[in-house]
Amino acid sequence: MLEQAWLIPTFPIAAFLLIIVCGRFEPLRSKFVASGSWLALLGVGMSSAVSLLVAWEVFTGDHSPYEDTWTWFEGTTFSFEGGIYLDGLAALMLVVVGMVSFLVVMFSIGYMAEEGERRIRYYAEICLFVGVMHGLIIANSFLLLFIFWELVGLCSYLLIGFWYEKPSAASAAKKAFLVTRVGDVFLLFGLVILFSTFGTLRYSELFADPAVLAEHATELKWATLCIFGGAVGKSAQFPLHVWLPDAMEGPSTVSALIHAATMVKAGVFLVARAYPLIVHSPDTALYIAVTGGFTAFIAASMALVMYDVKRVLAYSTISQLGYMFLALGTGAWAFAHAGGDAYAEAHGYTAGMFHLLNHAFFKALLFLGAGAVIHSVHTQDMREMGGLRKAMPFTSTTMGLAVLSIAGVPFFSGFWSKDEILAAVRHNGEVEPIFAVLWMMALATAGMTAFYMTRLWMMTFTGPINDKAHEAAAVMTVPLAILGVLAVVSGFAIFIGDGFASYVHYGYHTHQDNWVLLDHILTASGTHLSVAAAFSGIGLASLLYYWSPSQTERPDRARFILKNYPTAMLHRFLSERLYMARLFDWFGLRCWDVIAAACNRFDIVIIDGVVNSLADCSIHTGERIRRLHTGFTGHYAAYSLGGLGALVIMLRVVLPLIGWSP
Amino acid sequence: MIPLLHYVLFSSALLLIGGYGVVRNRNAIVVLMSIEIMLTAANINFVAFAEFWHDMGGQVFALFVIAIAAAEVAIGLAILLSLYKQRDTIELDMLDLLRW
Repeated sequence: MLEQAWLIPTFPIAAFLLIIVCGRFEPLRSKFVASGSWLALLGVGMSSAVSLLVAWEVFTGDHSPYEDTWTWFEGTTFSFEGGIYLDGLAALMLVVVGMVSFLVVMFSIGYMAEEGERRIRYYAEICLFVGVMHGLIIANSFLLLFIFWELVGLCSYLLIGFWYEKPSAASAAKKAFLVTRVGDVFLLFGLVILFSTFGTLRYSELFADPAVLAEHATELKWATLCIFGGAVGKSAQFPLHVWLPDAMEGPSTVSALIHAATMVKAGVFLVARAYPLIVHSPDTALYIAVTGGFTAFIAASMALVMYDVKRVLAYSTISQLGYMFLALGTGAWAFAHAGGDAYAEAHGYTAGMFHLLNHAFFKALLFLGAGAVIHSVHTQDMREMGGLRKAMPFTSTTMGLAVLSIAGVPFFSGFWSKDEILAAVRHNGEVEPIFAVLWMMALATAGMTAFYMTRLWMMTFTGPINDKAHEAAAVMTVPLAILGVLAVVSGFAIFIGDGFASYVHYGYHTHQDNWVLLDHILTASGTHLSVAAAFSGIGLASLLYYWSPSQTERPDRARFILKNYPTAMLHRFLSERLYMARLFDWFGLRCWDVIAAACNRFDIVIIDGVVNSLADCSIHTGERIRRLHTGFTGHYAAYSLGGLGALVIMLRVVLPLIGWSP
Repeated sequence: MIPLLHYVLFSSALLLIGGYGVVRNRNAIVVLMSIEIMLTAANINFVAFAEFWHDMGGQVFALFVIAIAAAEVAIGLAILLSLYKQRDTIELDMLDLLRW
């Protein structure tokens, strides 16, 4: 099956081509509008099936990476091999992207039903999106990855701007594209450094010899920092997180895909992929951990005050991605500090990727659920929602499961992975005080996460019964149900076989008994602390935002926040998104305008000046010289006779005088 | 026997006279006549040098020049005729369409 892995991106891309070509062809077009969605579902479904089979084979195989290459192009001193590289990490990503994308496309059939002919464009772009993400996962070199990376950015640009006639959507799409592009430039720099240092970008060649990598610590430090810069852009980490909340302008299904599977996870995947390089640079690892922890904290704090349901989810994604980076950085730092220890293992790596798996399911569920709610009540403002529990029992239940998962309630999926991350960070904290601070921030983030997710659920679903709303169609509820089940049980992947860590790990993997692991998790003091944080968050949010069905007015128990000056200031600071957007605008308008104005002056005065004076020069010369053309035949005859005379004098007198003979 | 120098001086004088006529005259017919004088100067040179070098090529060439001059006059006069029809003048000063 592994040899057929190239089929995984091929199916959706073929579906994309079919849809886009047939959708353009006028006689087919009208019939195709309805069937295009099923074609998309078929393409994505087949690739999902193949990716699950491939992942199964990788997980049950001998854990050594599988590589299949073909020569792409050859230079004089190097050749580039395209191909497929499959290991536990790629297999995990294939599972996540395969399952989530299939369910999202299925949900789209119901969600996008009212969009008419533009569905052709939607399904074509979705198929391309899924296809290139699969390509990114199974690529065998950083160069191939970079190509798919850019294509993923393109697809997210197209889909965020799906309703491009809305100015806010058009500008959000532009913002997403440009902000992630800042990161992409860093990534490209990193790859250039890697290539000039090691002469190859193929994973198998780069990762082959740790001794060679260790010799080039300085180059690796800059290369990995630049590569992480790419991940910061793609995965919306501080300070490039500003595009993700705006990206909510696209359809909810697109948001689900971007947040759970295709776009932002690419950054986490990139860092995990570059792990063999990052472990040689503890500075980079520390930087990754700090960025992740800080982003997780500020994003969660901003999510506390948002009223747009999709924005809350967007900030929660940024926050959860921060968790993943925190875990990856922590693991790499620990591994680097273990030195040459043959038994070193990067626990953070496993924890981060485990959280990626769980997050994909509950975040997809949250977005699809939010999509169903928006579809039903036609608003995104939570203050205008409420009382949907009776009308949308199915959506409210599945979203409730997702909320419990992300909040970290014991035995739901988020609990297991978040706990693993916290444990890994705390473990590092015993050596390096920075990690102790990060651990406290992460713990606070866990509490805030529980708070804002509960707030979201309470504001949307509790309150007097709203009977104008309606439950979503079956094609939408089925994906919700499947994701609901996955959001609850995916956490138990930690106990599959020899444990999740035996499939996805970096470094030496010690065999662990599942019962010992369970006992360890349940009795650790860190677990008790994070569970306490989760329950206090849920409890506080329930106290403040629970709206009983008998009340007609929304209870105003959170009013005290706005009444007191210090908390009101804090609230304003958070809802203004830490003034980051303003800062960027100011930077753009003021600083950049000054530079642009200077460039403009230079252009007008120097560049245009030179060109214009040259032109003026020839115009004036021509003005003088054209007086020679008197139009009198006699003058022309005189010129030619004079010329003849001059020629004779030249040949007979002047040239012999200076010693030249014809 | 007239020395070669005399021929050359004579033809140079004719050439200069013809050239002066071309440059100074406004009447197109007189200009054509002046060109004929310049061609005659060239012919005299041809014939004189043919005699001097005992080479008949010069005389043959003079005949060619006479024939071509005849043709040139025919075409030139035809042009002047149609010019007169169109512009009512053969004064070269009046023909200044290409002036700046």
